[in-house]
Amino acid sequence: MTHFEDELKDALRRQKPPDGFADRVLARAAEQDSHPAKRTWRDSWLNIFAQPIAPANLLHWATVAAVAAALVVGGVHYRNVHVQRERAQGEAAKARLLLALRIAGSKLQLAKARVDQINSAPINRREINSDQLHSDPSANQQERE
Amino acid sequence: MAEPVPAEEAADVALGDFAEIVRRHQSMVFSTALRFLADPPAAEELAQDVFMQLHAKLNTLKSPEHVVFWLRKVTSHRCIDRLRRTGMPQVSLDDLPESAGLEFSTDVQPADPFLSRRLQQLVASLPAKARLMVILRYQEDLSAEDIAGILDMPAATVKSHLQRALAMLRDKVVRTMGEVRTDT
Repeated sequence: MTHFEDELKDALRRQKPPDGFADRVLARAAEQDSHPAKRTWRDSWLNIFAQPIAPANLLHWATVAAVAAALVVGGVHYRNVHVQRERAQGEAAKARLLLALRIAGSKLQLAKARVDQINSAPINRREINSDQLHSDPSANQQERE
Repeated sequence: MAEPVPAEEAADVALGDFAEIVRRHQSMVFSTALRFLADPPAAEELAQDVFMQLHAKLNTLKSPEHVVFWLRKVTSHRCIDRLRRTGMPQVSLDDLPESAGLEFSTDVQPADPFLSRRLQQLVASLPAKARLMVILRYQEDLSAEDIAGILDMPAATVKSHLQRALAMLRDKVVRTMGEVRTDT
């Protein structure tokens, strides 16, 4: 130890506390014993975090670690279940949509075929009539009379 | 009276004898708080709170040595917590009065009262962690390993902090008082 460190040690001697310090502490302790503070569950749990880590507190910390691990595992499991459920619901909705599109497509095909059928019939009749007009003028005359 | 710095001071104290524990360790707890906070009323309040916490936890402590370790650890952490909570500013060396509430009763006179007072002021101006390490090292005569156990940090970190703090103190003493007093 250097001379400077010796000086430092000399300067940092322990100081006596003010007179009556021990008596005041003991009075507070006696008062605490006669009126023990009612501890809530919240205090007792938060107290775990206020303690320095010592062998005696390892059980506390192990409890905290176990609870934290259980919460994490539970959270991950819940999330997985939730994601799987959402995925299954999505697949079902997709299947329903495809079925609906298929039905709508077949209905459209039917409607188109019907429209085509309707459109094709009058055109044939008009073509027949016009052919008759050009080939038989007497018939036109008779029609006029 | 300045008490001898003890490693085994509580060895013969019955664990259940709270009053005896208070009497034996009141100087250690109060002095650590006073050197750190430089505020006697705050130091007494903190020291009382430490002993009240001990009173509630006494049955969980296994040995007198464990009590001493626990007291040092809780006092140190409460000092740091109090500083954080109250946001006490770092004391500038120039702002420190000649007697910054650090002069308390000791029956032993220091070899050089002026240097001693100046060193106390300089220690009070150190950053919080360094200040605590210096107090534990030179007031409590603890090794870097012991301090590391109390402050939950590696011993190498404590050693480097202590070296830096010593260099800073030495530099300030040289600047304010001259070379003569710091020769090794």
